[in-house]
Amino acid sequence: MNMSATWRTLVPTLIVSLTALIVLAPFFINIPLLNDMKNVLNSWTVIISAVTGAALGLVYMTHAIYANYQRNKKTEQLVMGITTYLFLALYVGLALTQPGNVISPAYQWWYTVLYQNVGATIYAFMFFTLASSAYRTMILNSVEAASLAAGGLIYTLRQIPIFQTWFPWMVPLGEWILLVPNVGGSRGAVIAAALAATVYGVRTIWGKEISLKEVS
Amino acid sequence: MSSVIVPGTSLSAVVLLIIAAASYYYFEKIKDPSYQPKLRDIPAIPAIKEGVGKSLEEDKPVHYQMGASGGQLYSTLVSMTLVALTFLRYISRLCAEMGAKLIVHMPYQAESIPLIEGTTLEGYKEAGKPEEFRRENLRYYGRGALTWTQGVTASFAQEGVGLNLAIGIFYSDCPISLEMAKYMGGLNVGGTGRWIMVYAFAMMCDYVFLGEEIYAAAAVVSQDKMMLVGMLIEEVGKFFVFLLLGLGLILSLVGMDVVSLLSM
Repeated sequence: MNMSATWRTLVPTLIVSLTALIVLAPFFINIPLLNDMKNVLNSWTVIISAVTGAALGLVYMTHAIYANYQRNKKTEQLVMGITTYLFLALYVGLALTQPGNVISPAYQWWYTVLYQNVGATIYAFMFFTLASSAYRTMILNSVEAASLAAGGLIYTLRQIPIFQTWFPWMVPLGEWILLVPNVGGSRGAVIAAALAATVYGVRTIWGKEISLKEVS
Repeated sequence: MSSVIVPGTSLSAVVLLIIAAASYYYFEKIKDPSYQPKLRDIPAIPAIKEGVGKSLEEDKPVHYQMGASGGQLYSTLVSMTLVALTFLRYISRLCAEMGAKLIVHMPYQAESIPLIEGTTLEGYKEAGKPEEFRRENLRYYGRGALTWTQGVTASFAQEGVGLNLAIGIFYSDCPISLEMAKYMGGLNVGGTGRWIMVYAFAMMCDYVFLGEEIYAAAAVVSQDKMMLVGMLIEEVGKFFVFLLLGLGLILSLVGMDVVSLLSM
């Protein structure tokens, strides 16, 4: 039996609105029942997240690996797909079979030697991309870029001991840049974004958010 | 009475919520139904269409990413997920209309995948071409920003990049993907509401949405009255903040404790 478009929209909207109101209310109203309901709903968030993250995530990942191989039918692609599951088996296997589970030496070795190093490599790579983009951005071709470059340079140089000795005025200037124009500018931006988020929240609770509406 | 109201409740937040809700009611029920507020032009919006055209000319795909963590449905950043979905719908429609291939790099929150899939399909339906929707062009890379970054950049390298539209919740995942898109010759258009990461977009994008501009831009591309009115209500909120600032300044000058007054 097909559900009508009105019901398909109305039922989730009602659930969202009611849930949001229950979660929001205890911030302002001190009624123990509301607080308990909020805690139950919050714990359900964790449950839904964990179940979908593990189960649905695994299904989608399998589909993605299969689709990758279909797009690029090379041996390397197949090896990469199989490696993913070998890693997964290692991850779950070590955690479940070793004495001490996740604090076992074998699991810790896997985590610190393999997983953390891959992460560190990616982070290191990120800083190279930042350096190359900073070089491109801070070329002195406009007042904005020049002020950005000057601010960045003073702030960076003030951390280096030799500049602290040669140019001691850089230290308080760098601190001033960090604490006054930086904080002033960012607070304005954060307040504006928070106001926009509040408006989105009110619209969603009211069921007027259109990004989730169906075409027909 | 005092026991029912939570001590330390921010009175200003309650007033702000009431103002927002009342303004919505006013614009929906009382104001002229044909009324649509005019928002200022944001250069990054026409750049999206330009980027799709560029992708077609170069025979390269359009990439859309909402961040490795961009599928958050139950955090304080959920408004950015909604913005990202509005843009996803827009870019899907645009690509379907213009005949460009769209690749969507999905966030690792698996619970948001059905929503992303549905929104993309809706975009194709809006363009009247649902048959051109390809599920295999929605890419999922498993959990973690590191795998996501590698997957996205590998896709850039293997399939090319004409336009890279990046809007949503970004952490340290965005510098690599944005810079690689630039390196591969793509046009970068994007923004995030997370102020701490706006610097990366400002440095790496050809056209950037600065902070709250993503909300305004989402309203513009949707061309929906309620979304546009939302931006107007945000302006009301800004005036309210200005009023609080002025009032707070005067009251603190006469020696009153403004912080405890606002935290009533």
